[in-house]
Amino acid sequence: MLDHTPTQKTLVEVDGLKMYFPITAGLFRGKVGDVKAVDGVSFSIFEGETLGLVGESGCGKSTCGRALLRLYDVTAGSIRIGGVDIAKLSPDALRRMRPTMQMVFQDPQASLNPRMTVAGIIGEPLDEHTSLGRAEKLARIYELMDAVGLSRDFANRYPHAFSGGQRQRIGIARALALNPKFIVCDEPIAALDVSIQAQVVNLLEELQDRLGLTYLFISHDLSMVRHIADRVAVMYLGQIVELASREALYGSPKHPYTQALLSAVPEPNPEHEANRRRIILTGDVPSPANPPQGCNFCTRCPKVMDICRKVEPVSREIEPGRFVACHLYETTTTAEPTAATEASGKTRLSTNNPTTQQGV
Amino acid sequence: MKLKTALLGAAASLVFAPAAYAERGSDGEVKIIYWQAVSTLNPYLSSGTKDVETASLVIEPLAGFDENGVVIPRLVTEIPTVENGGVSADLTSITWKLKPGLVWSDGTPVTAHDAVFTANYCMDPAGGCAQLARYEGIKSVEALDDLTVKITYNEPRPNPYTAFVGATSPILQAAQFANCTGAAASSCTAENFAPIGTGPFRVTDFRTNDVVQMEANPNYRDPAKPAFAKLTVKGGGEAAAAARAVMETGEFDYAWNTQISPEVQSQMAAGGKGEFIYAFGTLVERIEMNMTDPSPSLPEGERATVAHPHPILSDIRVRKALSMAIDRDVLVEVGYGNAGRATCNLVPAPAMFASDNTDCLVQDVEGAKALLEEAGWKVGPDGIRVKDGARLKLLYQTSVNAVRQDFQSIIKQWWNDIGVEVELKAIDAGVYFGGDAGSPDTFQKFYADVEMYANNFDGTDPEPYLAQYTCDKAPSPATQWQGENVNRFCDPAYDALVVELGRTGEMGKRAELAKRMNEMLTKDSYTVVPLVDRGRLSARSLSLGGVVLNTWDSELWNVSDWYRVK
Amino acid sequence: MFTFALRRFLIAIPTLLIISLAIFLLLEAAPGDPLGDVPLTVPPDVKEKMRAALGLDSAWYVRYLLWLKQFFWVEPLNLVDYIFGTDYAQGMQRVISFQSRQPVMQIIAQRVPQTLTVVGMSYLIGVSIALPIGIYSAYRQYSWFDQIGTLVSMIGFSVPTFFSGVVLIIVFAVKLQWFPSIYDTTHQVTDWASFMKQVRQMAMPVMVLSLYNAAQISRFMRSSMLDNLNQDYVRTARAKGLTEKVVVLVHVLRNSLIPVVTVIALGVPTIFGGAIITEQVFKVNGLGQQLITSIHSNDMPMVMTLTFIFAILIVTFNLIADLLYGILDPRIRYD
Repeated sequence: MLDHTPTQKTLVEVDGLKMYFPITAGLFRGKVGDVKAVDGVSFSIFEGETLGLVGESGCGKSTCGRALLRLYDVTAGSIRIGGVDIAKLSPDALRRMRPTMQMVFQDPQASLNPRMTVAGIIGEPLDEHTSLGRAEKLARIYELMDAVGLSRDFANRYPHAFSGGQRQRIGIARALALNPKFIVCDEPIAALDVSIQAQVVNLLEELQDRLGLTYLFISHDLSMVRHIADRVAVMYLGQIVELASREALYGSPKHPYTQALLSAVPEPNPEHEANRRRIILTGDVPSPANPPQGCNFCTRCPKVMDICRKVEPVSREIEPGRFVACHLYETTTTAEPTAATEASGKTRLSTNNPTTQQGV
Repeated sequence: MKLKTALLGAAASLVFAPAAYAERGSDGEVKIIYWQAVSTLNPYLSSGTKDVETASLVIEPLAGFDENGVVIPRLVTEIPTVENGGVSADLTSITWKLKPGLVWSDGTPVTAHDAVFTANYCMDPAGGCAQLARYEGIKSVEALDDLTVKITYNEPRPNPYTAFVGATSPILQAAQFANCTGAAASSCTAENFAPIGTGPFRVTDFRTNDVVQMEANPNYRDPAKPAFAKLTVKGGGEAAAAARAVMETGEFDYAWNTQISPEVQSQMAAGGKGEFIYAFGTLVERIEMNMTDPSPSLPEGERATVAHPHPILSDIRVRKALSMAIDRDVLVEVGYGNAGRATCNLVPAPAMFASDNTDCLVQDVEGAKALLEEAGWKVGPDGIRVKDGARLKLLYQTSVNAVRQDFQSIIKQWWNDIGVEVELKAIDAGVYFGGDAGSPDTFQKFYADVEMYANNFDGTDPEPYLAQYTCDKAPSPATQWQGENVNRFCDPAYDALVVELGRTGEMGKRAELAKRMNEMLTKDSYTVVPLVDRGRLSARSLSLGGVVLNTWDSELWNVSDWYRVK
Repeated sequence: MFTFALRRFLIAIPTLLIISLAIFLLLEAAPGDPLGDVPLTVPPDVKEKMRAALGLDSAWYVRYLLWLKQFFWVEPLNLVDYIFGTDYAQGMQRVISFQSRQPVMQIIAQRVPQTLTVVGMSYLIGVSIALPIGIYSAYRQYSWFDQIGTLVSMIGFSVPTFFSGVVLIIVFAVKLQWFPSIYDTTHQVTDWASFMKQVRQMAMPVMVLSLYNAAQISRFMRSSMLDNLNQDYVRTARAKGLTEKVVVLVHVLRNSLIPVVTVIALGVPTIFGGAIITEQVFKVNGLGQQLITSIHSNDMPMVMTLTFIFAILIVTFNLIADLLYGILDPRIRYD
């Protein structure tokens, strides 16, 4: 579907990904429903780019990231990485695929086995997937430690002896050990001090440049995503509501949820900050076990319409490379070819939607 | 010729037939289980039946008792009596003659000095001898020569068969225990765990509170015995498990004291591997009537003393009616099965001392009612009899014990039927039999109208037992509530008989006196209402032959005659 | 680690002394007279002499100090004598059982073998079946295997051994006649046949006790595994592309074992404590049966010594459990 950008090669292609967790109850633990953590998500990631995945807590972004690497058995949909649909691979074939796709976890403390040394943690994938000798393996471990900026002296220490930032470097080194092409960074900086966050993000960027990595960068930190991501996807209640290039998304958010989300980001420029208008969403996020009928966002949307409560909006490409799932944009896309020629979403938003400014 | 051959053949078969099973050690191993484990093999240091009886396999007294309670020689040539001159005419001394040629299991000869040593060993005040009662009243024990022992008593002794008679007073080897007298007695572990004896077995391995292993004594006086080469006495568990090991799994040949409910008994007997054996001694479960008023309204110091006769039970007609209302056979069936039998006697055995009193055996509810009517107790509106405004109400106490509580409720029902209101009380056995003068719940204090327990007497002579019912033996505040006459029964005629019995040496006369006294307490006065003669119940494997249960001596008294049934 | 161990060891000494005093005073205060079984025919003055022979005539603190001396000085000397054939302890009064008048330590030495073989073996078997059951139950949580495991654990937990023991006896000893119902403590293993006999006579008590042990430990193992299975590092391990075997048995198991190993270590003293009820039911006559018999007969030196040895073992294995924690878990350092 991204055939309009022939220069970029697609590495990851997700189509209709669903990840449901069964809810059991009663004496015999009968299944009574599903938690629809990820409910029909489709997107692509180009080689060498960073796709940011943002959304509030519990929206399913981490589940999406894990499902992407088949750390869960997905309920439905396909995940193509380098052309191979890993959603349907046998466990053994999947294991052989593992080196190409890796993950950096949110909590560097919990994600490192407390009973293994740094060298053990970084070296273990090498044992599993390569036939390196002892010396070669050690050389590779040192190389990786150098790459992430860890002193080689630390190789025989246990994770608990490190600071949070250092642990995350270990996690990254571990992820890099097998020369992966694609790394899912699941909130890699959320558990870190602000001063360390930048270091880790810079390290990730630097490694991307050097090794040509592709990232899915999951975060709720919109500023950090703006900094690192090439394109950004916004998730709400298991679905992607908007996907666009960074500039387009931050410049002119289309989906009311994206607008609300971005309105919460503080502006570094005090002038702009003074003019910033926050859109306060009321109500709670509905339970993913029991999402509302129609649009998932209809219960909280400041621009809700009747149709929103009945028909579920589908994701449409309203501009080249820009996808929004909202009934607000259905008229434009269906009726007018002019939509593509409009100068900016912002003007169109204001013209089309007098209600935009209401959510103060 | 033909006749001679036949005679020779007969003679040979006589010799060889028993020899087929009567060769020493030919029958392998016999396994006995005592669910109370053996702690020591020196009966002078432990009064436990388990210890005394296991020790009886190894060490022997001069004489023992057979299954009828008759004194039989073991290490002596004959039982001394007045007739054969062994007992002096004034009943103050007895002279025992050892069999010549007897040797200990280590091969050294048994002499009269061993017996003298044994008596001194137990009578040493520092030794803490557990069987001192057997040696009470002895002035001296002397060895007249190597084979003759003479015991002299302080006073005439109508029944001189106490010291050196029965499993509780066996002969120790002087050489082995020479350094174990007095205070050193209990520290001689090696000696106490493996005494050298004259019995059919000797100890090879002793593990306290666990297991004793023995082998046939190579120097046993009968060269053909014992039939078993090895013997094991295992301890631990409880009565039902011990019975099961003999009756159901067949792991053991003999189980001691398998007192279990009649129901379980018959279940186990169905296993077909063994049988329960029982024999009757002198243990009688009985109801005792309180002749004094235990009413709490009386001040302490007067309550339950002879100063206040019992307002209801002083009337013999009431006591008799209570006895008549009881069906003793039902009680036996409920509580003891084969190991019990109905009795009307306080002294049910030995046979020569047992009265032929059987009046009480048939239940007579109508007769009981009539007696109560006659005594002036009329049925009130609620079915309970009243007389002069007082209700016929009794407090019936006993110790906590499943069988006793069954008995209580059954008897309560019978007594209700004749118009007697009954209140039941069960007291913890430790308190009830504990004898603590400070406790209101001891059987001696008897703060109830009737009470039930069992008692027996040691050995075959009922004299000390019957002598308990004299006026002066009534427990009272003056005696710190000690004393055996718990009924506070008092009859000068009875006291006179006790004195007479103490002076009589001739057996026939003694038996007659004992029967009279027994009847005075039971069918003449209904002071004691015997219920059940409780036997001893043990289990033997069907493959174990020669077992004769004996309640007068060690259960293992004739172990040298035991053999394997083939 | 060494200073930690040493420090803990030094703290243990006053702790144990206080425990010994507490045990002694409790026994002292408990009702019951070691001469309670002596017949009433024994006159009071003779009884007094017997009390003196048992050492009961002196004040409690004198007896306590004497016991301390006997336990900490005479008994070790006796051990030295026994091992090296010396005679340092010649003529010194050892701790003597009131009931059998044998040195307490000899009785204990006599009974340790059967307790260790039966109770120890059942602990070993219990642990070795509990671990795989716990691991698999957690790995397949709520599967039928897990459900059955839960049920069996509940049975093992809640059915008292005096009941399960008797049921086993009726089934296997009485009906099927596979195993003896009474344990032969004198049995010696010399060849294959006698070994098989030993196995048969151990089968039932070991079954009863290992069911109980396995029930406990498998629940520990299961919950510890469940704790770890949901940890991020397990996801990391899977993301590394490790096989499930490696993920579960290396990553999860090694971390889950840390608390379980300490629980197992803390359970070891109970082996020496013996299994009072099971030993009674099967007549194993080990330390547990000795303890209960001694309590019944008010054999104070025996009860005192046994309980104190248990106290030492418990303190020791607490220390061992702590040290094991330090060795197994790199996050814990005792410096």
